[in-house]
Amino acid sequence: MDAGLDQNLESFFLLEYPQYELLFSISDPQDPSVLLVTHLIARYPQVSARLILGQIQVGPNPKVNNLIQVYGEAKYDCLLISDSNVRVSPCYLTNLAGHLNPDVGLITSIVSGINPSGVGGHLEAMFLNTYYARGMHLTHAVDHPCVMGKSMLFRRSVANRFGGIANLSRYLAEDHVAGSAMHYLGLKVRMATDPIPQHIGNSSFGSFWLRNVRWGRIRKSQEPIGFILEPYLGSVLSGVLGAWACDRLYHLSPGRVFCLHMVLWLVCDLAMMKSINVKVSFLTPLIWLAREALHLPLWLCVASGSQVTWRGRVIKLQAGGLIDLSEENDNSSWSWRHAKGYI
Amino acid sequence: MLIADMHIHSTFSDGKLTIPALVDFYGTQGFGAIAITDHLCEEKSIIGKAGHYIGHSLTRATFPLYIEILKSEAKRAWSKYRMVLIPGYELSKNSILNHRSAHILGLGISEYLPADGDVIGLVRAIRNQGAIAIAAHPVSTRKIEKQTYHLWDRKEELSEEFDAWEVASGPYLFDEVLKSSLPKIASSDLHHPNQINSWKTVFECERHPEAIFEAIRRQNLSFRFYYQEEDDDLRSRIRPSHLDSGYLSDPLRDLAIPETLSG
Repeated sequence: MDAGLDQNLESFFLLEYPQYELLFSISDPQDPSVLLVTHLIARYPQVSARLILGQIQVGPNPKVNNLIQVYGEAKYDCLLISDSNVRVSPCYLTNLAGHLNPDVGLITSIVSGINPSGVGGHLEAMFLNTYYARGMHLTHAVDHPCVMGKSMLFRRSVANRFGGIANLSRYLAEDHVAGSAMHYLGLKVRMATDPIPQHIGNSSFGSFWLRNVRWGRIRKSQEPIGFILEPYLGSVLSGVLGAWACDRLYHLSPGRVFCLHMVLWLVCDLAMMKSINVKVSFLTPLIWLAREALHLPLWLCVASGSQVTWRGRVIKLQAGGLIDLSEENDNSSWSWRHAKGYI
Repeated sequence: MLIADMHIHSTFSDGKLTIPALVDFYGTQGFGAIAITDHLCEEKSIIGKAGHYIGHSLTRATFPLYIEILKSEAKRAWSKYRMVLIPGYELSKNSILNHRSAHILGLGISEYLPADGDVIGLVRAIRNQGAIAIAAHPVSTRKIEKQTYHLWDRKEELSEEFDAWEVASGPYLFDEVLKSSLPKIASSDLHHPNQINSWKTVFECERHPEAIFEAIRRQNLSFRFYYQEEDDDLRSRIRPSHLDSGYLSDPLRDLAIPETLSG
């Protein structure tokens, strides 16, 4: 179970919104969270809530398979899809719904990583709170759809115009494709600035590395040109190039320029962390430095392949984020056709 | 009788308008039928791959969204404007040499078909879907852009393969096609709304995709210059020789859609 799952799920019962319905979708009836959800539903009888078990196989994406039932059974047209590892504030739904204008197709949120422990946990939180948050702001500033699947608010009637979420099942990153589909419909993707906290918990360096390789390869398959630019969005390579340029053009000490660049970058990232309500400690600069140092090696690892490992299973990605369903891939260690109960 | 534009690009390739915006754009002007025909480039050539990477082509990843959005917009176009929306693509074989470049329109398609391979195989694959195959701008378009002469170079060999050949692309009529005995169609190749001022095809048939396809096959059609607003510069570019053909209406007399089609 995710760290703090009971509090995460309970936070949805405490939403301050006039009328809403909670639908919990759990693919495996044996999942220990079934009992937890049942208790919560009993504890908050004033909240309309239902638990839906099982999944329908519509494609290779297990998250879509898990959601397809609730997508069809939801009482209202406005749907908010949220992962179980986020803990929301009572005004979360009100804040998101405030952005739902007629010209807006989808509203997403920035996620802040909190309560990390272990090397991987701290690096993961730092990734979310700096590089990821920066990327979200940048892509939305240039009106490029970038959606975080942990928080997606949209109208079902609008999603049905591109075939509903069932049509997203062939992609690994259904959230990103949903944002692109909204753009193709001429609708905007908005980002709510209030961050939703994700409890990171304990994580090893290996799981941090694998998760970020997976995310990186998804980004590479979907946005290859943007991926080529990614090394320059880290502090180290841009600092080295800037220091070299200052040396050649202005004969400034490259070491000093590089150090100044890194300090300024750190200050900006600390400001970013403060803006998304993340606490800073005396260890923060060290963790920040470690993550920045890993940026280029991680990018090189991502660039070197197209397979991703997800919970011990291997998935090959095609251009555009499509999950490769070729015969060769079916013979690999995982096939979605045999993934019943998996998510 | 209905006025139609069978060659239009959306934001799924290099067009400026989204599919819903195109439906509203044409629907409010009283068109009876349109076909959205976004580029679908080769997957194996370097130029084709570049088209995929920079988003100027449909891809295996975007095609499922493209088809579903076309389906839902076809329903909306019919219910709101009584306008037929036909799903299509423009198979784009691009080369640095104009004589090796060819663009083929498929109207009424349902399957993804990369533009790799010989044109005969591509045209037959389009027609095997029950769709219409059209040779797009086979001669000089008189625009500053890459030209696609390959189909015209092989016109004798390919004459039986295509259902029609574009006799106009935008405001320009193609004399070579006009004078030939090949079956014809006129379209705008619209990428930007200001390209609406162009030659269009008028069909003598019901507002139904199959009826339109049959009208293309039987050449039960005529051509008309359509313009949205006064454009003296555009009028001056229409040469009187274009009025000689039995296909053509007088562009200076029939510049607007007839009243019967406008509402």
